[in-house]
Amino acid sequence: MLEDVLLIANKHREAAAVIVEEILKNKKDKFIVAISGESGSGKSELTHVVAKEMRKHGIFAKPIHIDNFYNTLPLKRTEWRISNGIENVVGLSEYKWDEINRLIGDFKNGRKSSMPCVDLVTEQVDTLTTDFQNIEMLIIDGLYAINTEGVDLAVYIELTYRETKKAQKDRGKEPQNEYRMRVLEQEHQQVLSIKHKADLFVNMDYKVVPAE
Amino acid sequence: MQNDIFNIKKHHIQAAEETYKELSRKIGKRKFIIAIAGEVSSGKSTLAYLLGRILKMNGISTKILDLSDFYKIPPLERRAYREKHGIDSVGVEEYDWDKIESIINSFKKGQIVKLPSVDLLTDKVDELITNFKEVQVLIISGLYASYCKNIDYKIFMELTYRETYEAQKYTGKEVMDSFRQKILEQEHEAVQKQKNDADCYIDFNTFLNSYHL
Repeated sequence: MLEDVLLIANKHREAAAVIVEEILKNKKDKFIVAISGESGSGKSELTHVVAKEMRKHGIFAKPIHIDNFYNTLPLKRTEWRISNGIENVVGLSEYKWDEINRLIGDFKNGRKSSMPCVDLVTEQVDTLTTDFQNIEMLIIDGLYAINTEGVDLAVYIELTYRETKKAQKDRGKEPQNEYRMRVLEQEHQQVLSIKHKADLFVNMDYKVVPAE
Repeated sequence: MQNDIFNIKKHHIQAAEETYKELSRKIGKRKFIIAIAGEVSSGKSTLAYLLGRILKMNGISTKILDLSDFYKIPPLERRAYREKHGIDSVGVEEYDWDKIESIINSFKKGQIVKLPSVDLLTDKVDELITNFKEVQVLIISGLYASYCKNIDYKIFMELTYRETYEAQKYTGKEVMDSFRQKILEQEHEAVQKQKNDADCYIDFNTFLNSYHL
């Protein structure tokens, strides 16, 4: 994802510290962390801080944003969703899971890999090629990130779009309108279906707690 | 550039809006190149981002190019290289100007190009393929962005390197020590040479919301 804006706050740093501890406890080669959460819940911020912290431990972590893997192009998505019905199409099947899984395979094998990369200013999809040699960790960030195969540590942020509405508005990344609200509600329903896959929860107070 | 963090303040937004007003009269329908040069951590990439967004909202497709992606020596080797070759190795010559020029030419022709793209979290240089066909405006940001050829509009951003010291500590981009400070002084000197050439001069220091167009 190019030209994304992050607002990193102390709560992200504090939650990241706990997650990093958990990673170090369970550390193995080619480790995969996934961070799921609704729009505005701070996934990308958390991902960024975790990756940065890992560098302090000498571990190179590459963040991968699931939103780069939509089936539809950014400029066509709204129209596509509306014409097919938001409640019918918004969900897990909007993403190219086979491409995500191929990427995971390339990472596990330390290979070069090409992937889509959305530029949020041009709203075009570029192609990013990266070499996974010497990259020890992948952090997958996105609404349905913990749905990815082969995840070693699955984190789920419990804040819903309802709580983060204000933050969303401040950030101004997406227009706040009726269409957007219907999408967010549908996403909220969809992501609940994979919640059970989480190992760690970031709760409403942004505290990290283990799954029961 | 991947995983850069912008620290957007009100004065950045104001500066971007003012700059856009000025630019909207000049751009028209042709391919247009804007250079944002200036001091380290003066807000070049923040302004590039905000300007890009305003242009997009006004129906002008804009791609941002960060010159930090075009260092000849990759990030993880740069420090050692600079220490080995001395402080005089720091400056304009550290960039791959041939590659930058060829990308500008490809932009003008609306071609598909391969760009280097540094991931600030891994410090590795990835490769990015992008299509300039639908892109009308190119914003080039970087210390020495005014040195690029065929620039239609040059912006210069002011900041003294002492303030940079504080700013960098904040963003945590690089470890600060005496050699780093020498680097900043050297860069500062070379950066300032572009000043007289600018079409638009932005200084957040003199007082908070002052910029001269």
